[in-house]
Amino acid sequence: MHISEGILSAPVLVTGAALAAGGVALGLKKMDYERIPEVAVLSSAFFVASLIHVPLGPSSVHLVLNGLVGVLLGWIAFPSILVALTLQTLLFQFGGFTVLGVNTFNMAAPAVVSYYLFNYLVRRGNYTVSAGAAFLAGALGVGGGAMLIALCLVTTGEEFISVAKVILLAHMPVMIIEGLITSFCVLFLKKVKPELLEVGR
Amino acid sequence: MKRFYFLLVVIFCLLPTFSYAHKVSVYGYAEDGRVFVEGYFVDGSKAKNSIVEVFDAKTGEKLLEGKTDDKGMFSFKIPRLTSLTVVLTASMGHKNYYTISKEEVAEAIGGETTETEKTQKPEMETDTEEKVVKAEELEKVVERVMERKLKPIKNILLQIQESHARPGITEILGGIGYIIGLMGIALYFKGRK
Repeated sequence: MHISEGILSAPVLVTGAALAAGGVALGLKKMDYERIPEVAVLSSAFFVASLIHVPLGPSSVHLVLNGLVGVLLGWIAFPSILVALTLQTLLFQFGGFTVLGVNTFNMAAPAVVSYYLFNYLVRRGNYTVSAGAAFLAGALGVGGGAMLIALCLVTTGEEFISVAKVILLAHMPVMIIEGLITSFCVLFLKKVKPELLEVGR
Repeated sequence: MKRFYFLLVVIFCLLPTFSYAHKVSVYGYAEDGRVFVEGYFVDGSKAKNSIVEVFDAKTGEKLLEGKTDDKGMFSFKIPRLTSLTVVLTASMGHKNYYTISKEEVAEAIGGETTETEKTQKPEMETDTEEKVVKAEELEKVVERVMERKLKPIKNILLQIQESHARPGITEILGGIGYIIGLMGIALYFKGRK
């Protein structure tokens, strides 16, 4: 889920960077003292997740975990994902520095959308509702990210429908796996540390 | 804190199953008047059906374009004597490039056009033609043998390059260390208020 360097044009890169910067600023504002360790743990999880390769399908796809990050952190997903992506660029040469903004936005925006759509159900619902909502949040994180990447690639002259189809199809298995992981994590937290999932956080 | 430990456990449980995805690499070498290009992903799978574009590294002019086959390979005849930049674009926004130096290209085009002419012309004036023919034949034989001998070495180089493209445990733990460090810095600054 990383767009490489040298593919996108300057206006797309600048727009992505600007949107990402806005999200990061908002996220940093919302980040309280007590939440910092939580953010760091989720950053680490996101950082490592992209190394976990899902061997299904013909293409090489990996876990993203942006849905999980989003549903737990909301807007703080932006700084959290930015840190993880920066380190991935630095240490794994995934993506690149000029595309950092675009990649951050592509991953964090669906995360925030997941938060707004499913936050309430995940936190308020009973176990079944919560698990279902978390599953959808995880799947939406990946699916939304794939859609945004397709949208970015359109600007390079690729046709949206065909690119979107290829990317979505390739990420189908990941969407399902991420959904399961997200709902597993949420259920675990509900049992072990329900105060982390309190409404209004 | 329980949550922290739990996530750490999840991360470490997944560590052994690592396989790497998501970065495409391209490697090329010139040989026998042709350039061979290979594209592969970080997890070692080949970049099939990927677009390969060849540019003149000096002028940036696009010389030719093609697609990799099922083995992620693509080869083309050297279009001109210059350093070549091979750009490989795989699906879903993955792209990388590799530059082949002018010297390597020159060597691959072979003695026939550049080196031999220079070295053998003075010979022609003094020696009999027979000797020249023999020298040419000898050179061809040597080249063939060298190629055969160098093939495994080239493969080893390719493997080394592929293994370098993979992030190791050092990078992974280093990255997590950075995040923990950043957490410390954030805690420090937020805590001072």
